Amino acid sequence: MAAARCWRLVLRGSGLSLHTAAEAAVKAPEVTGPDVAAAPVARYPPVVASLTADSKAARQRRVERWQATVHAAKSVDEKLRILTKMQFMKYVVYPQTFALNADRWYQSFTKTVFLSGLPPPPPARPDTEPAPALDVVALRDAACDCLLQEHFFLRRKKRVPLYLEHEAITSPFLDQLVASLTGLLSARNPALANAALDCKRPVHFYWLRGEEIISHGHRKGRVDALRYQINDKPHNQIRISKQLPEFVPLDYSVPVEIPVMNCKPDKLPLFKRQYENTIFIGTKTADPHCYGHTQFHLLPDKLKRERLLKQNCADQIEVVFRANAIASLFAWTGAQAMYQGFWSEADVTRPFVSQGVITDGKYFSFFCYQLNTLALTAQADQNNPRKNICWGTQRCQ
Amino acid sequence: MALASRSARLALARLGRLGLGSCGAPRRGAYEWGVRSTRKPEPPPPDRVYEIPGLEPITYAGKMHFMPGLARPVFPPWDPDWTPPKFRRLPPLHEHPLYKDQACYVFHQRCRLLEGVKQALWLTKTKLIEGLPEKVLSLADDPRNHIENQDECVLNVIFHARLWHSTEDIPKRETYCPVIVDSLIQLCKSQILKHPSLARRICAQNNMLSTTWNRGFREGYPYPYPHTLYLLESANLRPHRFQPDQLRAKMILFAFGNALAQARLLYGNDTKVLEQPVVVQSVGTDGRVFQFLVLQLNTTDLASDEGVKNLVWIDSDQLLYEHFWCLPVVRRKAVVEPVGPTGFQPETFRKFLALYLHGAV
Repeated sequence: MAAARCWRLVLRGSGLSLHTAAEAAVKAPEVTGPDVAAAPVARYPPVVASLTADSKAARQRRVERWQATVHAAKSVDEKLRILTKMQFMKYVVYPQTFALNADRWYQSFTKTVFLSGLPPPPPARPDTEPAPALDVVALRDAACDCLLQEHFFLRRKKRVPLYLEHEAITSPFLDQLVASLTGLLSARNPALANAALDCKRPVHFYWLRGEEIISHGHRKGRVDALRYQINDKPHNQIRISKQLPEFVPLDYSVPVEIPVMNCKPDKLPLFKRQYENTIFIGTKTADPHCYGHTQFHLLPDKLKRERLLKQNCADQIEVVFRANAIASLFAWTGAQAMYQGFWSEADVTRPFVSQGVITDGKYFSFFCYQLNTLALTAQADQNNPRKNICWGTQRCQ
Repeated sequence: MALASRSARLALARLGRLGLGSCGAPRRGAYEWGVRSTRKPEPPPPDRVYEIPGLEPITYAGKMHFMPGLARPVFPPWDPDWTPPKFRRLPPLHEHPLYKDQACYVFHQRCRLLEGVKQALWLTKTKLIEGLPEKVLSLADDPRNHIENQDECVLNVIFHARLWHSTEDIPKRETYCPVIVDSLIQLCKSQILKHPSLARRICAQNNMLSTTWNRGFREGYPYPYPHTLYLLESANLRPHRFQPDQLRAKMILFAFGNALAQARLLYGNDTKVLEQPVVVQSVGTDGRVFQFLVLQLNTTDLASDEGVKNLVWIDSDQLLYEHFWCLPVVRRKAVVEPVGPTGFQPETFRKFLALYLHGAV
């Protein structure tokens, strides 16, 4: 049939045909089956908005056409390419930041709820045998060995001055700790034995959230989406090939409210730049180890406890840890979800879960993150009750 | 002329001869008449210090300024007790406090031995045996030691290191070389489930070893025995990397250094034949080609040419894969070479795993 042929040609060419929606509307009644057989088939193309006019309806139609190309993309790489190929000015979000109350801002950017303490343990299943007892003594010995090796036993070419101590001693200590603990605990968790361990591999994520009115320029007065990009470099991360089980169900409603900020993100301070939009979990899409297990972050010298106390920001010490956790883990879980083909118009159907450990060499904080929704754009967030959840502990020595 | 003193007149005449006025800039009527002479002006008379024996010269030293009638004083040479480091001169070599008559040659990471393996063998009094020892080879061939899906895992590791681990299309050697070695060690460590004694190992990166008068780590270190050295050649440009022969020589010498430090720790500083030989392994790679080495130190008596020699087993130039295509090769719209490694040899990883498991199995 002429209409059917047109439809197939248009799809293959991803063309600029004006009749795409028209053909779809004509095709749809034929496809839906016997219950619509009674409805009369239209004998003229439906009246839809123009595609090229300078009107809101036309813009809506163009946006829908673009979204249709993303839905129709055959591979994940192609989907990511279509979503990230247009570059505009975007806010660059730094997970490790000195900004005051950054964790509340990041919660509003990522639609995350912060709950203190760790998530509820999974219900014990009766069919599996009880796990062997944790050999805490051996683990503690291994941790002490790593500490002593870096701080005391290892002979280095030159004595490390105080300002270089962080990168020259604490950084290799964290590497060794992660490697040895992974090795020791792989007996209890076979997934860890086959895990991939990355050192200082970048993690990138790009998303849209909220809207603003453009204040100056040739597009002044028009509504524009706010774009964010995180370029993170976790010190270590463990990736596994099977996803971690969820902590709470996908539609779990948390009574805690997400903080709403009444001013522009520029007040944080957050700055706009235009460069490549990348979405990266640490490896490319073809890697079988595409789910995340744990990330380890080392806070830089600039954000260490003594400096914050000297600046009279004692309450910001916890904020630094929390902001880092929320931003990094959101970026990682979001990128993992996008690697599986989900995006803001195709929201996740299962929660993506990852863990994080943030340290400054002496104090450790543990965080768990569950990504329940990627639909953060203004259009997709209108009727979205889901929130992302981040659990976190206080810092422990 | 209005000016009275002769030197002032001479100076002005000099300036005038140059065509410049009193302040150094050319005058308005800058051209000067007169014969130009290229003769240099005569040097000023030297201020002589006259020594008349028996007479004490009366100098202007006490007045703290020049006085025309008085003699010029002679001051003792001033010895500053501190010079800035920029102007310090080193004392000649034989006056240094640490000087010894016998020359000591230092070998470090960037030393390339010209003669390669032959020179390294002579320096360490070692005999070369091609191929790895049977014990290690039997570990390599034993199917019980294999990881399940070993080939698939190794291929994934190669893909990850050569292509997947960074956002660039073609990662550089400086990034992929450490990634591939770390991933292979991580893959070997997955065998911990089968051999729990593997957990009693720790890895030390970039540490300094100086033997001949020091030990590697301080006393009381819980992991004192060196097991395997991994040497990476990860420079991007080929001239900066070591040739395979030079890499093997470097591996021999560093393994020897570790073994010697260990022997000094166990048996003291005197040179003798060891009852219990010390064995150190080494793996050198540039991300694609692997060299395996097992060194057995039998004697620390290196002064004499006869007697018991040390032994070294070398397995050289083991390719893990021939080449890696990061982008598919397309000729006339047909994919000739897909993305991935060509010429993959699983044997190389088996030897790597055998060296890792050696001692723990």
